[in-house]
Amino acid sequence: MNRMTRSALGAMVLGAFTLHAAAQETVKVGALVTLSGPGAAWGQAMKNAAELAADKVNAAGGLEVGGRKYRVEIVAYDDKYQAGEAVTVANRLVFEDKVKYIIGPTGSAPTLAVQPITEKNQVITSTLGFTNKAMGAEKPFSFRPVVTTYEFSEPQISWMVRTLGVRKAGGLFPNDESGQVIARDLEAAYKKNGAELAVKEFFERDRVDFVPLITRMLSRGIDTIELDGNSPGTAGLITKQARELGFKGRIVRTGGPATAELVTVAGKEAAEGMIVHAVIDPGLKTTVAYVDAYTAKYKNAPNGFSPSYYDFTNMLFEAMRRAGTVTDSSKVRIELEKIADFPGVLGKLNWTGKSNYGVDHQLAVPFYVAEIKNGVEVIRARCTVVEGCN
Amino acid sequence: MDWHLLMGQATVNGLIVGLLYLLMAVGFTLVFGVMRMVNFAHGEFYMLGAFAAYFFTTRLGMAFLPAVALSFVAAIVVGSLLEWCILKPFRKDELNGMIVTIGLAMILQNVALMSFGPDPVSMPSIASGATTLLGITVANSRVYVVGFAVVVLLLLYAFLRHSRGGRALRAVVEDSETAAVQGVRARIYYPLGFGIGVGLAAIGGALMAPLFSVSPFMGQTPLLKAFMVVILGGLGSIPGAAIAGLSLGLLESYSTLFLSTSTADMLIFLLVMVGMLAFPRGLIGRGEA
Repeated sequence: MNRMTRSALGAMVLGAFTLHAAAQETVKVGALVTLSGPGAAWGQAMKNAAELAADKVNAAGGLEVGGRKYRVEIVAYDDKYQAGEAVTVANRLVFEDKVKYIIGPTGSAPTLAVQPITEKNQVITSTLGFTNKAMGAEKPFSFRPVVTTYEFSEPQISWMVRTLGVRKAGGLFPNDESGQVIARDLEAAYKKNGAELAVKEFFERDRVDFVPLITRMLSRGIDTIELDGNSPGTAGLITKQARELGFKGRIVRTGGPATAELVTVAGKEAAEGMIVHAVIDPGLKTTVAYVDAYTAKYKNAPNGFSPSYYDFTNMLFEAMRRAGTVTDSSKVRIELEKIADFPGVLGKLNWTGKSNYGVDHQLAVPFYVAEIKNGVEVIRARCTVVEGCN
Repeated sequence: MDWHLLMGQATVNGLIVGLLYLLMAVGFTLVFGVMRMVNFAHGEFYMLGAFAAYFFTTRLGMAFLPAVALSFVAAIVVGSLLEWCILKPFRKDELNGMIVTIGLAMILQNVALMSFGPDPVSMPSIASGATTLLGITVANSRVYVVGFAVVVLLLLYAFLRHSRGGRALRAVVEDSETAAVQGVRARIYYPLGFGIGVGLAAIGGALMAPLFSVSPFMGQTPLLKAFMVVILGGLGSIPGAAIAGLSLGLLESYSTLFLSTSTADMLIFLLVMVGMLAFPRGLIGRGEA
């Protein structure tokens, strides 16, 4: 190489360093969520929550970790709520996009399918799936930002049996991991409180005609229809078709916020008087501010799971700040676990769950029992994971 | 609920669903009869009919019946155009025609996905509340749907039996060469036959749209049911499709009542397989493979 080439090369390398230092670095956060089909309302709520958190941090100049500022980028893919598709997407996120943090997966079956990949590659995940197998001492990188049937059903059912006199309930559940686990947990909770989940019908997730199943359920003399476990759209269809069949009893949903979508599909009349599990307290200013910001950007109201993910994403950022690194996910994980009394939009947040899952990776968000009046949730009882409902 | 009421309720439920299967199957078998083409895109026309009805009622503010009628007309026009532009080389070519319609199905589904997004949308109900007759409750919206569907089928019957166009179409279905000799022009009747066939699917979708939600993926199950019905009833036979459609609806309803859904689903498929083995030509038709 002659002198000219060597100096030219030297200049280029120096130039490259300078350019690299001047351009802002990016930290990628993956979103492995359901963006199509019946679970889309959840997946979009999760992805948009992460995007809102990223927007806020980027607008302030970037995420400041270890003295450097990073631009946060959310890389989202659709898993269609299918385990197979989720694995394909997980491989892409972990090996091609090289993310260390994933928002999602949305469903239980996809979560269990991708955990071998994410755990092995030390990628932090934040599932929406309700299965109790999603977390454990042997899965140090798996977290859950939303409370599940195990956490909220017993307090809610206890309240319903005490206050409304619910005795014999029937439920329709999707025939997969989520549906089966939820059915099992609900049955135990009803039994513990002296009532009965007398009928459990399982159906394929893409079913739209529930009239034969509802007819079968009604023939067993139930006083309450339980809708937990179903996607918001499906829950709406079941409500509508049950009312059309002349069912006059209670319809309850002991889980999974879905009110906006439910009222849209079933209509205000059919949904009137429904008892639902709510996560948003219209009286809490921080939550309302989040909902307003979401609605302003995305033009429709967020599904109730969304604030949990906004808070989780912010907790993730805080954990990165405390660990002083965005690349070493082991350190970030340890800091994430140590976060206590985090000021989220849902209130003060802590980790819980060791007694049930073996590890404190379940976020303890406050929740409420609400009644739908004229299409809107009206809070009837306030609950916490530890103390139950008042 | 005592047994009579329960069976009565199940019968009514089954007949309503059976009517939907009938609509799908009659259109499907008409297309096969006229063009010897197994139309895999049939379910997507059901879906497009539903979206058309949704669009006309919610965005343009039309009343329900005119919206359904407009969806039917639109489907005939679109169907005829598609037949004339894309499917013409495949008339009578069963295998390649089938493959082309598979491609058409994918294109239509993804166009709907891009235009409307993946989320199911819901149409406002046509009627609210329910009617109870002799202890059996039927949703008012379903009563209307049944009424409209019966009217459509009667009109179809009148068209096929008593009008010149209908007779020409039947002639083509029976024996296209003789029909051609008699002066029935293939140029008009192939597109028309395809258009009416998929138009019936579109009406099915438009009628069902207020009952179930509308999504780009909603056409898969009706297509499967249409297949099952024409296999049982005989490919190419309209009376066969009618009987098989209602029977399938009733069977599904009764079996869901007594058995779990998974067993009921399996039973239906088992019966279709047995039906194929026992009656290879279908219950009535001169069905051909």
